[in-house]
Amino acid sequence: MADMILAAEGVDKSFGITHAVNHVSITFAKGEIRGLIGENGSGKSTFCSMLCGIHTLDGGRFLLDGKELKIHNQVEANRAGISIIVQEMGTLSGLTVADNIFLGNEDRFTRYGIKNTAAMNREAQRLLDEYGFTHIKASLMIDNFNFEDRKLIEIVKATYFKPQVIVIDETTTALSQYGREELYKIMEATRADGRTVIFISHDLAEVLAHTDTISVLRDGELIDTVPSAGSTEDELKRLMVGRELGSRYYRTDYGPPAKGDVVLSVKGLSVPGQIRDISFDLYRGEILGFGGLSECGMHEVGKAVFGASFDRQGTVALADGTPIDSIPDAIRHSIAYASKDRDNESLIVNDSIRSNIVLPSIDDLAEGGLLKKKRMNRFAQEHAGQMSVKMTGIDQFVSDLSGGNKQKVVLARWLGKASDILVLDSPTRGIDVKVKADIYALMSELRKMGKAIIMISEEIQELLGMCDRIFIMKNGSVNAQFSRSPELNEEDIIAKML
Amino acid sequence: MMQQETAARPGKWKQILVSPRVKALLPLLGLLIIIAAFALMTDGQIISPRSIRLILSQVYPLMIACTGVFMVMTLGSLDFSQGSILGMASIVVSALSFWNIPLAILGGILTGAAIGLLNGFFHIKFRIPSFIVTICTMYLFRGLCAYLTTNAPVAATPAITALNQDWIKLLITGLVLLASYILFEYTRLGISLKATGAGEMAARYSGIRTDRLKLLSFVAAGAITGIAAFVNVVKVGSITSTAGNQFETNILIALVLGGLPISGGAKVRFSNILIGTLISLILNNGLVMLGLDTAMQQLIKGMIFLAVVALTIDRKSLKVIK
Repeated sequence: MADMILAAEGVDKSFGITHAVNHVSITFAKGEIRGLIGENGSGKSTFCSMLCGIHTLDGGRFLLDGKELKIHNQVEANRAGISIIVQEMGTLSGLTVADNIFLGNEDRFTRYGIKNTAAMNREAQRLLDEYGFTHIKASLMIDNFNFEDRKLIEIVKATYFKPQVIVIDETTTALSQYGREELYKIMEATRADGRTVIFISHDLAEVLAHTDTISVLRDGELIDTVPSAGSTEDELKRLMVGRELGSRYYRTDYGPPAKGDVVLSVKGLSVPGQIRDISFDLYRGEILGFGGLSECGMHEVGKAVFGASFDRQGTVALADGTPIDSIPDAIRHSIAYASKDRDNESLIVNDSIRSNIVLPSIDDLAEGGLLKKKRMNRFAQEHAGQMSVKMTGIDQFVSDLSGGNKQKVVLARWLGKASDILVLDSPTRGIDVKVKADIYALMSELRKMGKAIIMISEEIQELLGMCDRIFIMKNGSVNAQFSRSPELNEEDIIAKML
Repeated sequence: MMQQETAARPGKWKQILVSPRVKALLPLLGLLIIIAAFALMTDGQIISPRSIRLILSQVYPLMIACTGVFMVMTLGSLDFSQGSILGMASIVVSALSFWNIPLAILGGILTGAAIGLLNGFFHIKFRIPSFIVTICTMYLFRGLCAYLTTNAPVAATPAITALNQDWIKLLITGLVLLASYILFEYTRLGISLKATGAGEMAARYSGIRTDRLKLLSFVAAGAITGIAAFVNVVKVGSITSTAGNQFETNILIALVLGGLPISGGAKVRFSNILIGTLISLILNNGLVMLGLDTAMQQLIKGMIFLAVVALTIDRKSLKVIK
């Protein structure tokens, strides 16, 4: 076996009653890219958080190069030679790009207590150029950059000092194809350097293609570590879930589109700076997909249809001409919306599951103008149960739930509202295969019931697999339309995105 | 094995102490402790009928006004203009009391509502944090109060003191509490306020008209303090420039002592109003009975307030006071 760089010995962590990581022992070799996979709540992120000093260990220890790691925060982790690129936004607003890259290490550029900003900017720019991110200017405020560029800056920040172990936690979901390719290059360069990458992703194809070995976690326990070469997605899924997944994942029917009645008519929809002149009809019993690059405007289309855009032009109307101009309008007329930004827009995370499920339906639940606790409880319990949300009870706060469970709460509230039109923006973003399969199955079922669904997604595979029609957007307008067909493939679609 | 067990024990205790049910009972426990402590220190004086009557006579305006500010604070906002609202509304009530009493009550409510509307308008339209807007209006109307009472206190009709009876004040307070209890617990108002306090953006996406709700809360808080102003005028008979001084801080302290999280949101309970008002008044009167001078009283109150905020603040949901 190759030289070992990092070992976990009986690492253990509980949050309340949840045993997040259960005595995990695992070793990592020098010059290896290791995939770490598992469903939501399987303990991947917790494991890495402990490695990087974000969480403390309940038991066990980490050995780096044979020495026990004693770290309490990320800065200490960096000094020890371990760095992490996190799932969420890891850069700080209000600082320049260079400030962000050298956060906590400004001393390098400080003489007699005075920071040499010019030298720091120069050094940051040199690093950015070295990585090939020449379009990013180190002296500019970080707020001038979009989500993807900020992620690239974070990558530079986490890797420029050549740490022994780099943890990449679910970062690729935030990146376009370009950003992903850049990240893969960095991973390979790190390996060539004899250093180690721990790569976490829900995208199994990506994990198989870019790692040497893959470790699978389930319910906080290490299930197996397998070589990537020769493994298949199905084998990995089986290891993750612990049973065979049904063959049906996406829809399998390819019949002619069921042309029902028009349920929603969108004409000349524009939001300055975001989308331009979008028009379409949405039919009963269809799934209409919107795809494109992250910044193409497709996410704004969902918001605009739901009446949530601030400066919208054009009309959104039901079949009978009822205009939808505000969120309360949309909800009253049975339109549901699940945002890409689940924690800020879809759910009130610092509130109970009950309140989150009940809120949109609150007017329907009142009897003679009065709301009764019992009735709200029954309603929340019923719909949380229908979606099989894993919870201690409806009083539990949403902030305690995993990503997949949060999305189930979002869907539960709209099922409770009996919505006829569902706008689902990135419904499976950051969600594990099992819940993903549940969501696809639910969408198919709703479609058969005659509901209309708008699915906005950055994942081409799921658009191909689920949609009756696909609109591909580019620079704020619709660039191409496709109809469901087994011949349609990824390349056709990518060609229209770029 | 032994080691594990001893390690698990503090964890268990910690879990019990931070469990939501126990946390919700802490304010009530605080009330009981404070009653017991002062009963001991004052040889039972604090629970004598005379002292209870004294405390009750002070309870009404504070409890009424707390009911309004309670809504604002559930949203995670603050209202520092309450003292000046009480002062202004009291002046209006006094002036109108010479015509007739219902008109005076209405005048007080409208004055409060108007100032609340001003607060809400600037807070929402210009996106200024509420504590800044209400500190501005506090100075503005405190100044106006002082101007109106420069030459002489504004006296109400002498006949109004006839209404200074416990049952009348108790009835008004009871009605305000009952109405807001029903609105908070049995209509969409309560759940909407809590949701908006917990996460404004997601609340908007859940169909709550958050701007309208915020405006309504500030107007209601003003209007309800207008009612408190009537009760105040009935008690004192004439209004000087200091009317309502520090009333806003008393409200804030009472609600926080009653267990209302300063960030508002889902953990707010209606009982915070009742328990908080009682704790705050017993504390005030107890300190007086102990014979402490005012400077010392303020010092002790300040320390208790700081300690309670530090102990109860929900760091997770406190981003910024809106």
